[in-house]
Amino acid sequence: MQATETAPETDVRTDEELVGLVVGGEVHCFEELVVRYQPRVFGMARKYFRNESDVEDVVQTIFTKTFQKLGSYRGTAPFEHWFMRLSVNTCYDALRRRRNRPEHTISDMLFDDENWQDRLGNIPSGDDPEELEEARELVHTVLDQVSDRARIVLTLQELEGRSIREIAEITGWSESLVKVQAFRARKEMRAAVERFLMKEKRL
Amino acid sequence: MKANKTEQKFLKLAKTVQSDERVPGGFAARVMAQVQEQHALETGSADEQFLRIARNLPDNERVPYAFEKRIMARLRELLTPDPLTHWSRMLWRAAAPCLGVMMLAMLFSAGEPAETSANLPVDQSEATDFESVMLASFDDLELTW
Repeated sequence: MQATETAPETDVRTDEELVGLVVGGEVHCFEELVVRYQPRVFGMARKYFRNESDVEDVVQTIFTKTFQKLGSYRGTAPFEHWFMRLSVNTCYDALRRRRNRPEHTISDMLFDDENWQDRLGNIPSGDDPEELEEARELVHTVLDQVSDRARIVLTLQELEGRSIREIAEITGWSESLVKVQAFRARKEMRAAVERFLMKEKRL
Repeated sequence: MKANKTEQKFLKLAKTVQSDERVPGGFAARVMAQVQEQHALETGSADEQFLRIARNLPDNERVPYAFEKRIMARLRELLTPDPLTHWSRMLWRAAAPCLGVMMLAMLFSAGEPAETSANLPVDQSEATDFESVMLASFDDLELTW
């Protein structure tokens, strides 16, 4: 007699199925979506905010908004796209609100041991957590100096390597507007880096 | 020193073996990427160097402990009806109809012929009424005296 093998039951529900369940009243299913997406959302939020409490606040807002707007998700595009668009827009809103209280000034960010020129020529290896942390600080300090729109575009285009079309879909801007913003963002970033270098030379 | 027969055979065989010139797939691209990165680092402008650093930063996807529980607790709080919020929402909703009723009443009263003091006898005019009300206590005093 041949032993009957039971195939492993795949009870992994798709995002769309989970959304349907949540909208249908099974609120506890939302937790599965949160668990699925929270690492990505935290990774994304940390590109825009350096302060951990700001990161947690914005991630919490993203998931709360997602829950509240879940009813408006029509399922025409993958949930992931809809969710990432909402996440980026929430980060953009949070950046605009935070604009009134900048966290660091240029003078806070002058390293004692190395100068900026040296630091810019040194890519962190990834093995040294301190080195990585300093590189993160440097990136945040420069990006804090550019406008919110520029920061969004720089992060999406230059750091995440997204195309113009993708950025347009995420932000809801037209492709030509994204191109213009990308050009301005690059200019702003160049000016910010130069300002740091100039400041260092003066000291 | 002369090679013996075995050595000569081996050398002959070794010469016939062709050198292995195979290249691993994508090797050239890998090398070029490294060269370009190094070149950009040495010759690139400050903003390019900055972007290179930013791109090389690994994503920090660490999630605080039981964060999903926190989110779910917050959502449950949102779902629990708060009587004060409900009351204020109802008040706001009622504001527009009330305003509408007020406007209608205003229009209705504006359309009605107003009773002016000219149509009334002099002793019944508003001014007289007002004066009599205000001086009522003094009238009473006079009577008492």
